[in-house]
Amino acid sequence: MKLPDLLRPADGPPIVPTEGWTAWITIAAAAAMGFLAVLCLAAGLAAGRLAATWHSDLAGLATLVLIADPAEMDNLTEKAVAVLSTTPGIQASRVLSAEEHAALLEPWLGENSSIEGLPAPRLIEIDLAGSGPDVPQLQARLDQSAPGAKYDDHQRWREPLFDATRALEFLAWTASVLVILTAGAMISLAAQVSLAGNAEVVRVVRLIGAADGYIARAFVARIALRGFAGGAVGAAIGTMALAAIPDFGEAAALGINLTPGNLGSIALLICVPIGTGIVALLTAWVAVRSALRHLP
Amino acid sequence: MISLNDVSFGYDGRETLMGLTVDIAPGSFHFLTGPSGAGKTTLLKMLYLEHMPWSGKLEILGFEPAEMDEAEALALRRRIGIVFQEFRLLDHISVVENIALPLRISGRRLDDYRADVEQLIKWVGLNHRMHALPPQISAGEKQRAAIARAVVNSTDLILADEPTGNVDPEMGARILRLLIELNRLGKTVVIATHDLGLIRSTKGQVQARTLRLSEGQLSQGGSEL
Repeated sequence: MKLPDLLRPADGPPIVPTEGWTAWITIAAAAAMGFLAVLCLAAGLAAGRLAATWHSDLAGLATLVLIADPAEMDNLTEKAVAVLSTTPGIQASRVLSAEEHAALLEPWLGENSSIEGLPAPRLIEIDLAGSGPDVPQLQARLDQSAPGAKYDDHQRWREPLFDATRALEFLAWTASVLVILTAGAMISLAAQVSLAGNAEVVRVVRLIGAADGYIARAFVARIALRGFAGGAVGAAIGTMALAAIPDFGEAAALGINLTPGNLGSIALLICVPIGTGIVALLTAWVAVRSALRHLP
Repeated sequence: MISLNDVSFGYDGRETLMGLTVDIAPGSFHFLTGPSGAGKTTLLKMLYLEHMPWSGKLEILGFEPAEMDEAEALALRRRIGIVFQEFRLLDHISVVENIALPLRISGRRLDDYRADVEQLIKWVGLNHRMHALPPQISAGEKQRAAIARAVVNSTDLILADEPTGNVDPEMGARILRLLIELNRLGKTVVIATHDLGLIRSTKGQVQARTLRLSEGQLSQGGSEL
């Protein structure tokens, strides 16, 4: 099967012959790279979004855990809330209702279970203002007014989570770069194979006065177009694959979502083919110019 | 037109052309003869700038290739038409497109050269085959297309390496007539051949001189063999 020549110049046919199946292989490989690039970029963007969400949402929240004798619980809760309300760096506090407590414990106790009578701690949700309170000072006041109250700014588990998402984001971007480099290497090889397969054509056009730049343009334009076309196909398939991923449901509220959204999809559909085309153009140009220097 | 003064060249450190000295006048017709392996093709390659002399002074169309940069060398090469024994047409484009290729490479527009190329195709007798691909035409037709390609760019110098080597005697005579006709139009023609019959067949048609290469040395003959 012959590849339609989209680069047929107005003043005549291309000086480089159509290459049939090798051209299709280049397009297929560029499409695979485009597909992988979309997945890697989407994963990188999602990990970045997740890290940002967790960082901003959790950084503004803290919890007060109050462990006390059930008979003293309400009294100590009032005292703890009073301390919180007079602490700089705390915007608001709210005692979680019995239903909210039950909902939190539902994964362990099962549905419709009652926590009444259980020695469960009382939880107070705190909205922080600015950089939050002076924790040692706050804890000292709590120890005095409401013994058993423990301030938790989530840092203990927030930091590793944040670090993990950032590492995930880094890995995704590294994979994207590797995909781009692999695409470049593949295009470079395709360019060299194409040039080697057309060594006689190169020799003839050189003998009739063609400069290496003229010859290189003929090869590079064609290879770049294949890279762009393959990248576009791969990006389209990749974007459709992402769109087909089922919704994460309630986990989406935590920022877990691989779908890049409408704007993100459009950006991927535009950027990946253009990126593949540019990589193809640059690597093919370097490979062809280098190969031309070594052709007799 | 062409001047060689004590020019030497070789391959892999071994000198194959030694101290060549000759002047080829503008508008002249020369045969370059000698046995196989004498260096005829090597000398032609030097004349179309594929090889640079190891030593000595070479001038082509008033220029010294050794002193030229790439762009200047390309510009000079476009003034030289080359005809090969094995034709060297591009198989994926038609006869007319092959003939027009030097003009395209020179950056000329199709509308500017279409009429000239059509006239040239008629002159070489290929107007009925102009849209055929080279693999679809005979050896003689290929060589006529190659001659048309060699002169399409208004070249001043035509170098032909065994131009009749792959065609039958009748077609060889026809190709030779085309080259003689070009010489009458003022082109300088140098034909490398080992076919003495071909050289003799030009008697009375053109004032040809012979340059004989043997064991790397060049000797000049007159217009008579």
